[in-house]
Amino acid sequence: MGKKEFLQGNQAMAESAIRAGCKLYFGYPITPSSEVPEYYAKAMIERPEEGITFIQAETEVSAFNMVAGAVATGHRAMTATSGPGFSLGQEAVSYMSAGDLPGVIVEVMRPGPGDGEILASQGDYFQAVKGGGHGDYQTLVLAPYSVQELCELMQESFELAEKYRNPVILLSDATLAKMRESVELPGYVEQKDPASKPNALRGCGKNEPHKVVTCGDGPVQWEEFNARLQAKYKRIAENEVRYATYNLEDAEIILVAFGSMARVCESAMKMAREKGLKVGMIRPISLWPFPDKAFEGITGKKFLVCELNAGQMVQDVKLAVENKRDVYFYGKLGGTTPSPKNVLAEIEKLGGESK
Amino acid sequence: MKKELLFSGIGGQGVITLGETLCDAAIKAGYNVTFVPFYGQEKRGGRTMCNIVVSDGVESPIISEADIMLIFDERSLRDYQSLMSEGGTMILNSDLVELEPETACKDIRRIPFSTMAQEVGNSKTANVIALGYIAKFLPMIPYDLIAAEVERSFAAKPKLIPLNLKALKTGYDYTDR
Amino acid sequence: MRKYVYKRPEVFTDAITTYCGGCGHGIVNKLMAELIDEMGLQENGILVWPIGCSCLSDRYYDMDAYMALHGRAPAAATGIKRADPSKCVIVYQGDGDLVSEGMAEIMHAGIRGEKFTVIFINNAIYGMTGAQMAPTTLLGQTATTAPAPLGRIVDNSGYPVKMAEILAELPGVIYSERVTVNSPQRIIACKKALKKAIQLQLDGKGMSFVEVLSPCPTGWKMAPTKALDWIDDEMTKVYPLGVIKDASKEAE
Repeated sequence: MGKKEFLQGNQAMAESAIRAGCKLYFGYPITPSSEVPEYYAKAMIERPEEGITFIQAETEVSAFNMVAGAVATGHRAMTATSGPGFSLGQEAVSYMSAGDLPGVIVEVMRPGPGDGEILASQGDYFQAVKGGGHGDYQTLVLAPYSVQELCELMQESFELAEKYRNPVILLSDATLAKMRESVELPGYVEQKDPASKPNALRGCGKNEPHKVVTCGDGPVQWEEFNARLQAKYKRIAENEVRYATYNLEDAEIILVAFGSMARVCESAMKMAREKGLKVGMIRPISLWPFPDKAFEGITGKKFLVCELNAGQMVQDVKLAVENKRDVYFYGKLGGTTPSPKNVLAEIEKLGGESK
Repeated sequence: MKKELLFSGIGGQGVITLGETLCDAAIKAGYNVTFVPFYGQEKRGGRTMCNIVVSDGVESPIISEADIMLIFDERSLRDYQSLMSEGGTMILNSDLVELEPETACKDIRRIPFSTMAQEVGNSKTANVIALGYIAKFLPMIPYDLIAAEVERSFAAKPKLIPLNLKALKTGYDYTDR
Repeated sequence: MRKYVYKRPEVFTDAITTYCGGCGHGIVNKLMAELIDEMGLQENGILVWPIGCSCLSDRYYDMDAYMALHGRAPAAATGIKRADPSKCVIVYQGDGDLVSEGMAEIMHAGIRGEKFTVIFINNAIYGMTGAQMAPTTLLGQTATTAPAPLGRIVDNSGYPVKMAEILAELPGVIYSERVTVNSPQRIIACKKALKKAIQLQLDGKGMSFVEVLSPCPTGWKMAPTKALDWIDDEMTKVYPLGVIKDASKEAE
């Protein structure tokens, strides 16, 4: 058992990334993600033995493309950003998915649209999960709900990105990013030689060249290119579904929430149980692939989907239950996170309704 | 055990720092602690608020109702008084807050933290005095642990340690009824 | 005994280029191939290609390659070079890519002094997409988006952009030269400039930049020979040839 430290989400996450072997960071500062580039900038100076490179890019457009270039060489690289910056980076996310490039992107959600606000939000669920860029592509999207999980999924993001050679989005939010809590930092991960990774650009000599090309070569070839990508997404969908369930055995009302909102819902569930209300929870951890299977076989229950947006994941929940059962939504916009008490009030409203 | 705290003021008053110091002490006392700061977009003079949860188990970092609320300016009072628990304690810096709270909370304390800070010898110590005062309401976090964290937080400026320990003690010893 | 006086560069694949007759890309592509052979770059080199007429170029070379998004080649090259500074990274961009879509990327790569080589093909037109106006299109020059009789008008589109001069202003750019490929002598001079630019990268200096005024008979709607003359008669007046900056000595 390692040492527990009381750390900020962004900083603990950045340290976990360094320990995962991500020595290259390219980013543009934006609240509430800025502690990540600051952490890397400091580590580059203070820990020369670790060979860390930090570049403050001119735009998120460039930062994401720098990540794409860097991971093309087999090295681990990442960026972190928030809403407006995430929008700018989308072309490169599409590119990385098409080009089999294992870039890792942290999106610390804040409320939009437009310039928006800087507190917590989950309004970029669609953008992350449905593909905010062009074309038919998918990215793995992981949603932690504690600083500990933020650190663990940060490290896992690099493994998954390389396993499937596809970008991974770690979907954080302003609450997780700025909050401090006890965490046991994960250790250093042993690294493979970057040049040993598939298709790593390194200079080919007289051998078969390595190429990153996402440019079409006629409709027939492009159909084949896309079919190969779709097969990749199918593999991910089959193997990487993650979720947690709580008290489903006897639950009459099932909360569905991810990220910091799930943390609130967990407390609300406890409060409801203390009052004798039979409440459970499904917490999707992989938002894509969405954990449809968590909903399989559940009948006669009410689902209360709680999100910090106008109702985004609720659509995936409705698909998962095939629109057959009662799905209710409770959401907040603007940056205020509902408290457990607020959620409890929603549960009570639902519990009082006649079926 | 679960205590939900909310401290709010204006940037520069040290409300966030006081929250962090308290959290560090609560961690040493063996509790689960979450600390969530909320900032305005202004770098100076904007609103700063934090939610702190000290508990035995894992809880929501967003509070439902404040068991202890510390308010350093009137806008904070207007914005957050609705989150005050009926049975909790609301602590107002009476030098800065004249407004009458609209809350069902019975236990409202008006403490002149800024005046006390002047008397201690440095107006910047108002937050540390407030921390000492709050410590009385949180007996599960031993005073010595809080004092040690105050000392640690001034490690880079050791000259200021005696002053701040004095401020902390002044707040802790203050009796208002 | 047979003595070879000329042979196809070894780094070239068997692919046939898709460039139009009289296009300058093919000439520059071949000079690059010769230099890759002569300087032994196949072992340790990575080519970064753009969107534009040269976006199929990766298939002409047995070289590791990265085909970047439009304008982002300098950003991708930054990632590549920073990940492994021991590689020789050559970035190849056209005018739509470098001057328009990717102005921020090339400028900031120069500002940071990224230690790679940029070859910029300036043909004053968007060749691939069908002769639309480029930021480098001359005043009065016609394009499908700057039609006759006026061609490019200042009030509407401003002035042609002189990238070799602009980048030369940046301390991070240690070498900037403008060349062309409209005569055998100038092709030789172009190769010399490219060689110097690549050598400076191998020596670990700052960014090296070579702008090539390149004929586009199709886009310009001219016979190839007339296109060669047009470079002399019109283009070089706006874009003078020569070394604009050589700080390689100071960079010692």
